[in-house]
Amino acid sequence: MNKLSIAVAVCAALASSYASAEVRINGFASIVGGKSLDSDQTLYGYDDDISFKNESKFALQLSADLQEKLTATAQIIARGEDDFDATFEWAYVTYEYSDELQFSAGKMRVPFYKYSDFLDVGYAYRWVRPPKSVYGIPFSTYEGLSVVYNTQIGDWDSTLQGFYGGFDGDIDVFGNDLPAELNNLGGLNWNLSYDWFSARAAYIVADTSIYSDDINLLGLIDVLNNSGLSDTANDLITEEDSTTFIGVGFSIDYENILFDAEYTQFEVEESLLAEQKQFYASLGYRLDDVIVHFTFEENDDEHKSSRFDTIESIPSLNSVVNLALEGIRAQSNVYTIGARYDFHPSAAFKIDFSRFKDDVADTETDVVAVGIDLVF
Amino acid sequence: MKKLILASALSICSFSAFAEVAVIVNPGNSNAIDADTIKKVYLGKAKSFANGNKVTPVTQNGTAVADEFNTKVVGKSSSQLNAYWSKLVFTGKGTPPEKLDTDQAVVDFVAANGDSIGYIDSSKVTDKVKVVATF
Repeated sequence: MNKLSIAVAVCAALASSYASAEVRINGFASIVGGKSLDSDQTLYGYDDDISFKNESKFALQLSADLQEKLTATAQIIARGEDDFDATFEWAYVTYEYSDELQFSAGKMRVPFYKYSDFLDVGYAYRWVRPPKSVYGIPFSTYEGLSVVYNTQIGDWDSTLQGFYGGFDGDIDVFGNDLPAELNNLGGLNWNLSYDWFSARAAYIVADTSIYSDDINLLGLIDVLNNSGLSDTANDLITEEDSTTFIGVGFSIDYENILFDAEYTQFEVEESLLAEQKQFYASLGYRLDDVIVHFTFEENDDEHKSSRFDTIESIPSLNSVVNLALEGIRAQSNVYTIGARYDFHPSAAFKIDFSRFKDDVADTETDVVAVGIDLVF
Repeated sequence: MKKLILASALSICSFSAFAEVAVIVNPGNSNAIDADTIKKVYLGKAKSFANGNKVTPVTQNGTAVADEFNTKVVGKSSSQLNAYWSKLVFTGKGTPPEKLDTDQAVVDFVAANGDSIGYIDSSKVTDKVKVVATF
């Protein structure tokens, strides 16, 4: 047998094995244009020039049914904010042991929020973007394992998910991309739903490291270390710091009324990051193919008072540390009114107006965004 | 008996203005299938028949029967159902039923596939398929 015929035989074998795997291609896209109405304030990446790039995205999903209960799924997404560079957002393999029990491994979504799983699929929700005060954690995926257990409790559908893994990559912290690592990232996510009502709770832990390049902060840490105040220095560094996240929420989709509310809080202990608490409540009303909605969100980041004045014996350093901790303080709220119009079986038109109020800087920023979401 | 006749007469009247939707399976399928099971199958919540065989549902692509089935049986408008399925598809949690273009295509598919289920305009029912429910 010469080399050519071996090659032909291999190709034929591959072709036949490919033929047995059914590959499905789905996709979604959002084309969003928006601008800030204030010349000196930016919000959600918009300044006062209209941008069609910032929140636009295009994604393809490939899923291959490998038979014998095994499927492979990859989702490739190109985001305008990343110059439409395509990246793998999801890439995982699922083994469906039974209708009730599934095991997955690979790159998947961290189940922080109700809409985490389809954050990018604008077609799946009513806003141009999910409420950012809550949907604010600067990374959304992890690499690891997930177990999902679906069951019925009386008339209720229950989905319990357990996951474990890690994240390693750059995250956006106060506008700077910083290298970060989350190890032992794991948790539980429980969803209960009954016809028009659903509720969820998530509890997630991790060991968080974020490598800051802020000269002032690094300088302060050096001074503290040199002064023998390494405990205080360590409390400003985010290195292997134990992190806890809690998210709860419920949703109603009753006749023409839609209601969602979610509350989240998280803390990276012994770090410069303050304890954060967020919530939103959103009411929607459906009129045939149109949904009108109103949303209120609030965010509050604040260090506990016990973190301040820990080195009063050295007043000068004490006040610098206090300033660094106080500098993290954030308090803001957002009102959004908007509408979604399903003008096509697989496309929706949306318009949102948001007013963001920063209580610390005492500023107000308005953003208008108009978009089309598609699934195909 | 009188009540039954009256009820039938009323139901004939109420449906006469609209097409009736017939849910059909393969004649070889002897599983008990009620309205709740049909709804669950079309929402991806039930994946197997009572005998354990994996169910292969087919739906219709934007036809009047599809609108009627979605509203009456599944309880969602076609665009709500699309949004619902997009959540499952893009999280790898489910695959929506294959969409066929005509009643005839659904009849042919169900006649040829033992574990399939579909729905058609009840006037298009043939003896190649078995009606399990009408709406």
